[in-house]
Amino acid sequence: MSVIAVYNIKGGVGKTATSVNLAYFSAQHHGKTLLLDMDPQGSASFYFRIRPPKKFGAKKLLKGGRHIEENIKGTDYPGLDMLPADFSYRNIDLALDECRKSHKRLSKVLAPLQEEYDRIILDCPPNLTLLSENIFYAADCILAPVIPTTLSLLSLEQLFAFLDEIGQDPDKVVLFFSMVEKRKKMHAEMMRSLRERNRVLQTVIPYSADIERMGVYRQPVAAALPASAAAAAYESLWHEIRDLLAI
Amino acid sequence: MTVHPGADTWLLPDSLSVEGLLAALAAEFGLESAPEYGATVVYADSFDWRLYQQGCLLHSHGTCWTLYHGDSGEVTVQQGGPELQASCRARDFPPGGLRELLEPVLGIRCLLPLATVHLSGRQVRLLNKDDKTVARIVVESQQPAGSERPHRLVRLFGVRGYGRDQENVRRILAEAGVAEVASPLIGFTEGCRAMGRSPLDYSPKFALELDGGETAREAMARIYLTLLDTINRNIPGVLADYDPEFLHDLRVAVRRTRSGLSLVKQVLPGPVSDRFSRVFSRLGAFTGPTRDLDVYLLAQESCLGRLPPSLRPGLQEFFAGMARRRQIEQKKLVRALRAKKTRAALNAWQQTLKRRDRQPAPLAGMPVRDLAGRIVLKRFKRVVRDGHALDAATPDAEVHRLRIQCKKLRYAMEFFGSLYPRHELQTLVRHLKQLQDILGNFNDLSVQQEMLRLTLKTLPAGSRRTLDQAAALGGLLQSLFQEQQELRAHFTEAFAQFGDEETTALFHELFGKRQESA
Ligand SMILES: Nc1ncnc2c1ncn2[C@@H]1O[C@H](COP(=O)(O)OP(=O)(O)O)[C@@H](O)[C@H]1O
Ligand SMILES: [Mg+2]
Repeated sequence: MSVIAVYNIKGGVGKTATSVNLAYFSAQHHGKTLLLDMDPQGSASFYFRIRPPKKFGAKKLLKGGRHIEENIKGTDYPGLDMLPADFSYRNIDLALDECRKSHKRLSKVLAPLQEEYDRIILDCPPNLTLLSENIFYAADCILAPVIPTTLSLLSLEQLFAFLDEIGQDPDKVVLFFSMVEKRKKMHAEMMRSLRERNRVLQTVIPYSADIERMGVYRQPVAAALPASAAAAAYESLWHEIRDLLAI
Repeated sequence: MTVHPGADTWLLPDSLSVEGLLAALAAEFGLESAPEYGATVVYADSFDWRLYQQGCLLHSHGTCWTLYHGDSGEVTVQQGGPELQASCRARDFPPGGLRELLEPVLGIRCLLPLATVHLSGRQVRLLNKDDKTVARIVVESQQPAGSERPHRLVRLFGVRGYGRDQENVRRILAEAGVAEVASPLIGFTEGCRAMGRSPLDYSPKFALELDGGETAREAMARIYLTLLDTINRNIPGVLADYDPEFLHDLRVAVRRTRSGLSLVKQVLPGPVSDRFSRVFSRLGAFTGPTRDLDVYLLAQESCLGRLPPSLRPGLQEFFAGMARRRQIEQKKLVRALRAKKTRAALNAWQQTLKRRDRQPAPLAGMPVRDLAGRIVLKRFKRVVRDGHALDAATPDAEVHRLRIQCKKLRYAMEFFGSLYPRHELQTLVRHLKQLQDILGNFNDLSVQQEMLRLTLKTLPAGSRRTLDQAAALGGLLQSLFQEQQELRAHFTEAFAQFGDEETTALFHELFGKRQESA
């Protein structure tokens, strides 16, 4: 099993859009997939039209086992299940703090799900907290969408500094460009300079009205608009990640 | 049985139309119907149901193949492949997912068309007020070729986490009169029946429940009739030459019959025994050459794999010649098998077994249980005796004889196995099997060496190239020989274990004169 965390310190960079669409392709071609919505806002759950479960929350998530099993929901797509988020996740750091070995808790909770799922994708909230530490510990790959602007550079530096601080391998991080606007000169320049780094994917997710409207049609782009350029971009992103991680 | 009928499949009552059913569901759910499908598909499996045993069904629609789980109906792969004529093999499929799944399961067995069924229907998603799919319904009509009425089915597939909605669907179905649970494979099984087959109706394993009180004559007749049935059922496949396993299974049944006739004396009248020993010996003989060539040809891959690529063409040529020879032998085999003489002899065997003997043989009336133990024990002692005489220098021919001895013991244990406690018997069979595996590998290595020797002989004299080839083949022979020598070491060891006190004691305990103390 592989755990892919879609993460960035910044909000609004396309994390949720990416998680939802990658999970869709992962399940369609390459094995049973679980999408974990870790963001108390629950946007990924919203895209799949799944309501937050009634008796579920941060504490139950961290207990794991049947508390998770009972709250996993099937999406509209075969092979793709999801654990919807709950608003109580906003206080998850407090709950984590009470756990023993608090930075390994999530990893421990995910372990038994390996039997059922070939892949787990985490849609992460934007911040650097004890939860992030848990996520980095549990993930085989930290996939970070980057909007090619100078500001993004700053948040990347913060991310790597944090990984260094908690002793995580910086090579877990894989970058790709998100919400790219061809006409913006700054985007092109930033991309050129950032490509000099290691582990930057070739596929670029363009800024696209079809993706922006996902909140309206509430489906993965490829399910609603299979012939769109946006769907093709996510598919290509998925294949590149698969090759890179050899999954 | 590994294919379970889904609990969530029902027959649609005649009084209920698909529209009526959907209207009832529409009262509580949004409905999203996929386009209707309709296709005539041909189900395929190996003669011995290898896919079905794995819980899989495979069907073709023209050159489009679908492999799916029998119970869930979930599609595993859908891919292009060959047109299913009379038969086809895994290697006829283009490289890809389907072939990768089929090859290990089917091995050298071919796929045969089993049932032709016309499938039509549609899938409907049931949506909640968020337009989220909470369950799926499939209404499908399955009409086996030749049958007049289709089976109309409704299937319910739940979505995880939406149990309450599923319960609602069940309630609506029940209220609409959907009550009769059905197998989702009904079209498949009915279609097989129309072809004279039913799932798992053939297995090469010998399995027959004897009853300890049966007389030896009754029991042996049932054993021979079971074997005769195996022979008869494999004949069409041998004649059509679908795959080498038909001939293999047929020959095993012949060999088992011959073993029976030679091991179990004085149960059938002497003249009968003699006559049919000759019949089956002849059957064994005229099926032999084709099988021998099959064995060589099956070793082709592993032989070629041992050679450096530059030397392979020579060996390939040799195999091509062998394949041509096999064609000739197969023709002879077909002629001999079709011959009136053969058909008549097999019929006579059946008649004889079913008829009362005019002059019963001396042991005919003995309870089979008393006879069985004696026979097995005798074979065991023989194997142990010959096995002990074995050492690293024993000639191949003698090792081969021992292999045959082991087979006879195995057959005897299989004939009468149902009379003994399962667990203990399996322990002994396992020990014996270990031995047989080693002997089998040993024999394979002999066969391969034999073949290389034959290849060497066919090399034209003289040229530099020939010399290179001869040298390589020589080296290869040496490596095979070496491997065989190493097996010999294991072999003595395995024999020592087989003949040890514990195994011997267990054999005696199981097959010895237990009845007297009981
Ligand atoms: N490639 C894109 N093109 C246009 N809009 C996008 C794109 N990716 C995301 N969006 C939109 O931007 C907003 C933020 O995206 P989201 O995926 O929720 O980001 P995050 O999860 O990082 O906060 C959403 O309204 C989404 O529809
Ligand atoms: Mg988000």
